[in-house]
Amino acid sequence: MLAIGKVRFVGEPVAAVIGADQLSAQEALDKIKVEYEELVPVLDVESALAPGGVLVHGMDYIGGAFRGFDDFPGGTKNICQAVHVEWGDVDAAFASAAHIAEGEYYFPMVYAYAMEPYVAVADYDSKGQLTVYSSAQHPFMVRHDLAEIFDLPLNSVRVIVPYVGGGYGSKSYTKIEPLTAACSWKVSRPVKLQLSVEEAFLTTRSDDARVYIRTAVDDSGKLIAKQATIHLDTGAYAENSPMVCRKAANRIVGPYRFPHVRVDCLAIYTNTVPASSYRGLGAAQITFPVESQMDELAHKIGCDPQEFRLRNLAHSGESIHPGLRPIDADVPGDIRLAAETLRSNGPLALKHGRSVCCSCSDAGAHPVTLAMVHVYADGSVSVMSGSTEIGQGSHTVLAQIAAEEMGVPLGKVRLVGSDTGVTLFERSTGASRTTTLMGRAVMEACREAITQCKSMAAELLGVPAGEFTEERGGIRHGKDWLSWPEIIERYFQMEGCGIIGRAYLRRAGALKAVPVFWEIGVVGVEIALDEETGKISLDTLVTVGDVGLAIHPAMTESQDLGAATMGLGIGLFEELIYEGQQLMNGTLLEYRVPRFSDLARRVELKLVENHDGVGPYGAKGGGEGCVNPIGACLANALYQAAGVRIRRLPLTPERVWKALQEQKSQAPASQRKPPAAPKTDVTKTTA
Amino acid sequence: MTTLSRFEIDQPGSVAEASQMLGHYGDQAAIYAGGTELLLAMRHRALSYKHLIDLKVIPGLNAIKARDGVIEIGAACTHRTIESSSLVREMQPVFAELESQVANIRVRATGTLGGNLCFAEPHSDPATMLLVLGATVWIESARGTREIPIEKLIAGAYANHLAPGEILTRIVVPCGKSNHRAAYMKFQIHERPTLGLGLWLETLDGGRTFTAARVAVGCVSPFPHRAPVAEALLTGSRAEVEKHLPETAALIADGADLVDDHEGSAEYKRHLVDVFLRRTFLKAVGLRISS
Amino acid sequence: MKIGFELNGKAASLEIEPRETLAEVLRARCRLTGVKLSCEAQVCGSCTVLVDGLPVSACTYLAYEIRDKRVTTIEGLADPPGRLHPLQQAFLDHFAFQCGFCTPGMILAAKSLLDENVHVSDEEIIAYMSGNLCRCTGYLGILKAIRQASAEMKATWKENRSTS
Repeated sequence: MLAIGKVRFVGEPVAAVIGADQLSAQEALDKIKVEYEELVPVLDVESALAPGGVLVHGMDYIGGAFRGFDDFPGGTKNICQAVHVEWGDVDAAFASAAHIAEGEYYFPMVYAYAMEPYVAVADYDSKGQLTVYSSAQHPFMVRHDLAEIFDLPLNSVRVIVPYVGGGYGSKSYTKIEPLTAACSWKVSRPVKLQLSVEEAFLTTRSDDARVYIRTAVDDSGKLIAKQATIHLDTGAYAENSPMVCRKAANRIVGPYRFPHVRVDCLAIYTNTVPASSYRGLGAAQITFPVESQMDELAHKIGCDPQEFRLRNLAHSGESIHPGLRPIDADVPGDIRLAAETLRSNGPLALKHGRSVCCSCSDAGAHPVTLAMVHVYADGSVSVMSGSTEIGQGSHTVLAQIAAEEMGVPLGKVRLVGSDTGVTLFERSTGASRTTTLMGRAVMEACREAITQCKSMAAELLGVPAGEFTEERGGIRHGKDWLSWPEIIERYFQMEGCGIIGRAYLRRAGALKAVPVFWEIGVVGVEIALDEETGKISLDTLVTVGDVGLAIHPAMTESQDLGAATMGLGIGLFEELIYEGQQLMNGTLLEYRVPRFSDLARRVELKLVENHDGVGPYGAKGGGEGCVNPIGACLANALYQAAGVRIRRLPLTPERVWKALQEQKSQAPASQRKPPAAPKTDVTKTTA
Repeated sequence: MTTLSRFEIDQPGSVAEASQMLGHYGDQAAIYAGGTELLLAMRHRALSYKHLIDLKVIPGLNAIKARDGVIEIGAACTHRTIESSSLVREMQPVFAELESQVANIRVRATGTLGGNLCFAEPHSDPATMLLVLGATVWIESARGTREIPIEKLIAGAYANHLAPGEILTRIVVPCGKSNHRAAYMKFQIHERPTLGLGLWLETLDGGRTFTAARVAVGCVSPFPHRAPVAEALLTGSRAEVEKHLPETAALIADGADLVDDHEGSAEYKRHLVDVFLRRTFLKAVGLRISS
Repeated sequence: MKIGFELNGKAASLEIEPRETLAEVLRARCRLTGVKLSCEAQVCGSCTVLVDGLPVSACTYLAYEIRDKRVTTIEGLADPPGRLHPLQQAFLDHFAFQCGFCTPGMILAAKSLLDENVHVSDEEIIAYMSGNLCRCTGYLGILKAIRQASAEMKATWKENRSTS
């Protein structure tokens, strides 16, 4: 909540002032003088890992963020979490490889910039009831943490999350709620804490990643081995970075078949803003190196990058991770679709480049999702969902599912949103899980309500349930048709009555295999390069959402475009810059996010619906995948446009210009040209 | 969320009264016009005043008038007023165009040209172009009025040469003529421009030779710089001028006190001066820019 | 100080402190919470409201400035019987928002643009709207919505002209 004794990053709260209004609180705050004794900070992963260096914590931490982890890293040496993934015999495979590509890549620290900053209202009343309104994505986790911190039973903590102004992962887990609750406890009155965007910059960021990766192929161009070391700069506190660490290690394999894999991923403490979830959860960080290297390796063996991918992609039903759910998507088809769409731009213009890249994430998180529907005698339906509506449209999609199942018009369904005092447990709103898990739970809850209605009908009609048939919205018995509301009203002989249907999803049955589903991100870009300034602009953007079934196609497409646009920001200009322990660009005046003028000339949003998910009607999640491949797409397209390979994001104009200068100074004039045109496809060059 | 500290707003009836108020309150007071930069700095506690003297209530300071080959722009005119003024669009279209691209529509609708020049934010557009258009400003105080070239107003980043009690009241911009060629271009990655380059040329033969030239670069250093030594290379036959553009750019960069910052290294900015001098030249003489 | 102004078409007056921003006054006193606060640096546009028809950043604009002026917030856009403004309807039709935090500002900025020039090109829309940020949608839906509203408002404009 507040730093005690030691401040571990600039931005860590040291004092809280409670005032009757904002101005008086602020005036009191201006009177607080804090004296700091300056300590030697740990500012990057190199010095964090250096032997004998300063320790950020110097002790083991077992906190809320480690929930679900069996393996504690032992918090010495500034290592917050270590994850090792291995199968096959990697050393032997590299020894026998026909070709190897290797390199180091850097993915920057970025800030999610949800437009609504963190906000919470806490009311700790005299009866020991703590009610918190919050912008948190995961109200049930916040409830858990508040119950632990204040030593309260779960029934005495109520967390309510109204509509949230964007999150993208940055509002995962507990943030300002404990401090707000403590302030309310102190003054026995409701207290509101609302951060500014500048304070939000100093609250959470994404992990940056230094990734060393090498990839081997045999002489037929088949991938045989991958080895990677990932260093995440996790900042001063663990937050959710242990999970980012785990997921980055899993996701670096990509949707490819690898017989031999060894990955070591470390989340490392430094004296910077704590890193946590960010859209893609570790996948954006590792897809940039993976998909850059796929192109590098393809060029090395003289193969078209798309052909190279298609040769090595896992097909639907194939396994990429021993012990995990087989791939439930058509990644080769997705890649072909993106490439064809790009190709319809015609011949590639001079200083233009194209690329199609993909990512594959073990998504859905741990499947524990409970839902409840109220079916009322007047024909209306309420869906009680603990999933937070954060702009992803879950309230619409869940209502659609309930309307479909209960056979009522959409307008008859109302969502009751996250309120731990009212809605049933949902582990989290993230990992693209809501449509798949909460959607399935709502569907099952509706089915359960229908089952109840049927037995009521059997009793009312005095016939066994087998003698009538279910028809959309009710039952048919001979010439008679009874709707669900009619059955409920006649059964209770009471107006205004209603019943509940419920569903409890856990890791069992169809949800036994993990992950819940594989989230695929496939993106194609065509860029135009201004060689003089180094500025890259996006000519064409293609997204492919392989979502099983798009329950709401327009919103699904919009999620893909939104994710790709966030990726574009990281690809081209977003990066948090530290000088010493100070964040230098923690305002929107200096930290540039994508704006209207960054919109591509041509945008194509494609959906692939193969009904291959475990969600309702074969649906599975989306909305994060398209953030992941963009960085590599841009770097690969830049290579095609100008022949320079940049292994660090963002591709700022100056960085690109410097690479072009270096290329000019290294290559004699005769060799100054883009790479030769491969035989087929996306990379066709007519220049 | 941060809130402004308490202050009073004073409404002077005239420039003289405003000047007296400034004298009376000393550094407890500031002139307040659009407030787009002042209020931001006050919210961040970078500046603190007990009194804001509202310039906008003084009659006449938000007018745009033409007189003897010049346009007089009241200091309290917003960027929006200037960009949409038919007078400015007709008589100095390059400045109207520049004004239409300052920041965003909300800043243009509230921010004033006078405030912009006095606040002297290093990444601001108008001062750079006013330098090459040969603009002057009127400075008024209880002691009287003086007119100085814009160069004499610019002191540095967030600094101007106004004496205590002095108020910038109008900006005088010479009108464009058919034998003038002028253009302003900027390179922008972030919220504020990385570079702004203004160029003004005079020709007596339809653009074959240039008899006078002014060039200035802004945003790349703490304040905009004119480059008199480079201007000599911008006169003569068009072919000669074009041939010497790289040397001219080098001279502009040499004189501009380029700094390394988050917008870019001095080396990159030097390169951008070269690229944008050529692009601005081509724009000024009316050619399409190839990139 | 006491100020009089027009708020969403109705005369209003309020006692304000000079230090109060328009956003503070509209949100806390007038309960018009459609005015959203985000960057507080005039970059993002989520606090956009119209003053005499022009967009301003209410976060950094003193309430003092609205004396004798017309203030329009998102709450004042729909016709009283609940008929949405063409822009509001178009934003719904094109799913031009996700979390909705930027939407009031987007719609008001777009209104100002279309009120000034209903015959607007894509380039003009993009240039004008580039001062309003959206983190969710990637902007395409918003562009399509403004195009649609422009077409509808053009049609209404022609209709009005031919009947007058």
